[in-house]
Amino acid sequence: MGKHGNYDAIVAGAGHNGLTAACYLAKAGLRMLVVEKNDWIGGAAVSRSLHDGWTYSNCSYVCSLLRREIVRDLELPRFGLQVIPYEGGATFTRDGDYFAYMSDHDALRREIARHSARDVDAYTRFSQTVTRQCRFIRPFLLRNAPDPTSLKPRDISELLFLVKQAHGLGARELGETLRFWTISIGDFLDEHFESDLIKAHLAGSGIIGTGLGVYSPGTAYVLLHHYMGDVDGAIGAWGFARGGMGAITQALGAALQEAGGEIVTGSGVGKFLVQSGKAVGVVLENGDEYTAPIVASNMDVKRTFLNHVDRRLLPDDFIKAVERFKIRGSSGKLNIALDAMPDFPAAPKGAPFLRGDLHCSTTLDELERAYDDWKEGLWSRDPYFDMLIPTQIDPTMAPPGKQMMTVFVQYAPYDLDIGGVRSGDNWTDAMRQAFADCVFDKIEQACPDIRKHVVHAEIRTPWDIENEVGLTEGNIFQGELTFDQLLFNRPVPGYAQYDTPIDGLYIVGSSAHPGGGVMAAPGANAAREILRKMGKGNRMPSHAA
Amino acid sequence: MKRYDAIVIGAGHNGLAAAATLARKGKSACVIERSGTIGGMSRNAEIAPGVHAPQIAHLLYNLNPTVARELGLDLKTNSLPTVSLAEDGRHVVIQNDTVTFADGSPHPEAATYASLHIRLVTFARLLGQMSGNPPPSLSGGWTDMATLRELAGLAKLGLGLKRLGKKDLREFLRILLSNACDLILDDFADGPLAGALAADAVRGSFAGPRSPGTVFSLMYRLGNGGEVRLPAGGMGAVADAFAMAARKAGCDIRTGSGVARVLVENDRVTGVELEDGSTIAASAVLSSAGAFQSMKLAGVEHFDAEAVRRLRNLRNKGTAAKVNLVLSGAPEFTGLNREQRAGRLLVSPSATYVERAFNPVKYGEMSKAPVVEAVVPSLTDPNLCTDARHILSAIVHYVPHGQAGGWDDKARARLVKLTIETLERYAPGLGALVTRAEALTPADIEVMTGAPGGHWHHAEMGIDQILTVRPVNGMAQYRFGPGGLYLCGASAHPGGDVMGAAGRNAALQLLKDGGAG
Repeated sequence: MGKHGNYDAIVAGAGHNGLTAACYLAKAGLRMLVVEKNDWIGGAAVSRSLHDGWTYSNCSYVCSLLRREIVRDLELPRFGLQVIPYEGGATFTRDGDYFAYMSDHDALRREIARHSARDVDAYTRFSQTVTRQCRFIRPFLLRNAPDPTSLKPRDISELLFLVKQAHGLGARELGETLRFWTISIGDFLDEHFESDLIKAHLAGSGIIGTGLGVYSPGTAYVLLHHYMGDVDGAIGAWGFARGGMGAITQALGAALQEAGGEIVTGSGVGKFLVQSGKAVGVVLENGDEYTAPIVASNMDVKRTFLNHVDRRLLPDDFIKAVERFKIRGSSGKLNIALDAMPDFPAAPKGAPFLRGDLHCSTTLDELERAYDDWKEGLWSRDPYFDMLIPTQIDPTMAPPGKQMMTVFVQYAPYDLDIGGVRSGDNWTDAMRQAFADCVFDKIEQACPDIRKHVVHAEIRTPWDIENEVGLTEGNIFQGELTFDQLLFNRPVPGYAQYDTPIDGLYIVGSSAHPGGGVMAAPGANAAREILRKMGKGNRMPSHAA
Repeated sequence: MKRYDAIVIGAGHNGLAAAATLARKGKSACVIERSGTIGGMSRNAEIAPGVHAPQIAHLLYNLNPTVARELGLDLKTNSLPTVSLAEDGRHVVIQNDTVTFADGSPHPEAATYASLHIRLVTFARLLGQMSGNPPPSLSGGWTDMATLRELAGLAKLGLGLKRLGKKDLREFLRILLSNACDLILDDFADGPLAGALAADAVRGSFAGPRSPGTVFSLMYRLGNGGEVRLPAGGMGAVADAFAMAARKAGCDIRTGSGVARVLVENDRVTGVELEDGSTIAASAVLSSAGAFQSMKLAGVEHFDAEAVRRLRNLRNKGTAAKVNLVLSGAPEFTGLNREQRAGRLLVSPSATYVERAFNPVKYGEMSKAPVVEAVVPSLTDPNLCTDARHILSAIVHYVPHGQAGGWDDKARARLVKLTIETLERYAPGLGALVTRAEALTPADIEVMTGAPGGHWHHAEMGIDQILTVRPVNGMAQYRFGPGGLYLCGASAHPGGDVMGAAGRNAALQLLKDGGAG
């Protein structure tokens, strides 16, 4: 007979969204329990020691989207969260040159001019447009997505807010906004720049984590999704969490425990318990049973409803909608322990951009072809990657003098195709090694001696990420960020406000609006909705209220 | 020299529709056509002595009923079934919302198809409402007349949407900007039926079925029900009908010398100068040429820098080529009866096939295995050939405008060979019947018709280039740069296909502005 317990609310999954929701609810006075299947908390925001002395951010690896309102509400810095921005990054060519992005405006203009005088002004136009779009979208992140089919006063007022914001842009800007939200990042960059290298450097943010190519409409929005965050108010800036991405979830966990919440790790939810249409608790895989009138799932919407809720309790239309919700595994990752800082012959010694994001894809066509491979169930023969060496800024991640490198790879399939048969089981050790070798070969384009510095490498395919973290297909956003799955369509039309067909059961993960990335907005929004339904809306702290 | 109220550049269906609409309102209008023949893309040509064929466009499925009614177009057409050819011989026959196998046996997905088709057509007709007016300008205060008229139009659409009921409205909002592949493969097994839907969603556009926005292009095609019709006498008859309507209304149509430039004084058009040097005075000019080309005719200096930049960035890379084959006898497509052979024959065995066909064109290469829409009009319309010969008209997708290495007769020959080989898998011995072949690449079509990029919508129908931002942001109301200049071609709202709405709307906008005469 397993353990028992009764709480005001239970959250299934100790990812950053689950913990954020739990923190807000605990601060509002609810007796909270968070259950986590792994022996550690953090979901996809973790720091793990997988090789003696080295710490890997082995899923998410950089921070920008985490909403500052949430950081303030939950006082995360007090619990050890420190985000250190990194300046710039670079894309290396095959012929020993590079394009370096630098946060220093004048230096950046000189660097752009080195590749194209014309693109200097183009970049100004580009960054103005993107910044304007960021300012436009940020106010919506901590609000509900209004249901356009509803006549509820709240939905109407949210709709009016949207219309007011849009109308405030003015006709010209509104037209530009309509285009920006629907155009492909490739076409958008082609409209601005002439240098292939600069385009390729900027295009990456448009495809990271998505099953789309740089020329697929809607990828400009995906870029926006990566730019709308900030570090210390610098919009679009990215940084490292000191001690790795786990520092974020560790801080959330500590905040939760200070607010009286409990966390149980080591066994995941077996089933969500439902009685006469109402959620009443969870039973864990190990048999432990906990009851509560409110249950929130940090798992993606497919995993929640297709694996852990009795189908007979759900409307057929809802199940169909969940089944057709697109969560596509498209990214892999290498976490690498290095015995020393590898040499980048093209870069000046100690160049600051080596502390940022490094790439080796030099044209948009190259990126598009990488997508074509993935469509066929293959990993990109000539992949795009986002490569960083966090120890250049945070030495605590590796033993003295040693380095840690994280390489996010686009694209890698979840169902690997071998001879026309697509299956995750095809990801044998040999295949995973071949995938890694393909990535290393391309890294050598910038860093010829990389292989001889490798002490240990963790190879992660979408298949591995799903099985370890629980993200369906290892998709980092818990669902594609396409028009048909954003705002009131996310995750299911009619259930886009964190509620579900089961009374008292909520979705708090990135499957919900406004989507993925280590943003924590879905968790905060869900908590706000839960409190509002309890008539405790006034207990929501000011910033995210 | 006679002075006109309005001059229309280009005698394609949109140019003729614009001229006819103006003339019927008592304005004097003259259509100037550069080439010797009218019709633009809807033209006939004598491919071989005694063989007349629809040279470029070959089927009618999106003609705007309002335009047809207003202009009193006199057209005889035959409805054709669509046959999606299957590699295993289990060909699928589609007619409106019914699906069967070619041998008459029932198709397992017939019911699913019927409900999808009906749903899509319902949605498409709602969107179709918007093609009769200029798109919402999003400009102006809430008080001025134009805005109010706009809001009224939107309210009408909103009402129509509300009438769908919550369930359908939510479905509409979900799929509106989605991609055809997901929409199709959510409900259908991948095969000839899915392939046919996927191919119709992308035909003519620089997109694959996986590209977001292709559900919209599929619905655009269904805006008038989507029934595929073959005009008696070929597409040339359609052009003639438009021309007839224009002439009846009193328009002049001059062919053989194009407009060299639009004359502008004090930011108003005063007429046009022809390639032969002569000038014609007019107080308004409507151009059915491409948007960027129209700007150049008027002179870039008359447009503000933003507009010029946007027009330069207009995407119009054509992807559809035309191959016309003169055959010594009727082709034998195995497993099809006579009526089916005379139908619209599709080589798009699966949605995956269509997506794969799209890949190479992104890099300036022809599809290795192309998507083909073929029809043998002479089976329905024997008058097209003076003897036992037949004409096979094929739209081949995807073929790049900017072929890597350029287009020459060798590359064209490869295109013909590829087309014949692709069709021969379903019609053994077809190659032996070919006595003459004509291949028109997007580049050729651009030269023949002036359509930018040889794109049959003049500008890609991507979500970022439709409605309020078609052709570009700030120029969606047909008014185009200097006073009195209007855009009336497919690059204006609502867009391409042999529809005629853009020409009509532009003319009405001119009249509303009181700009003619």
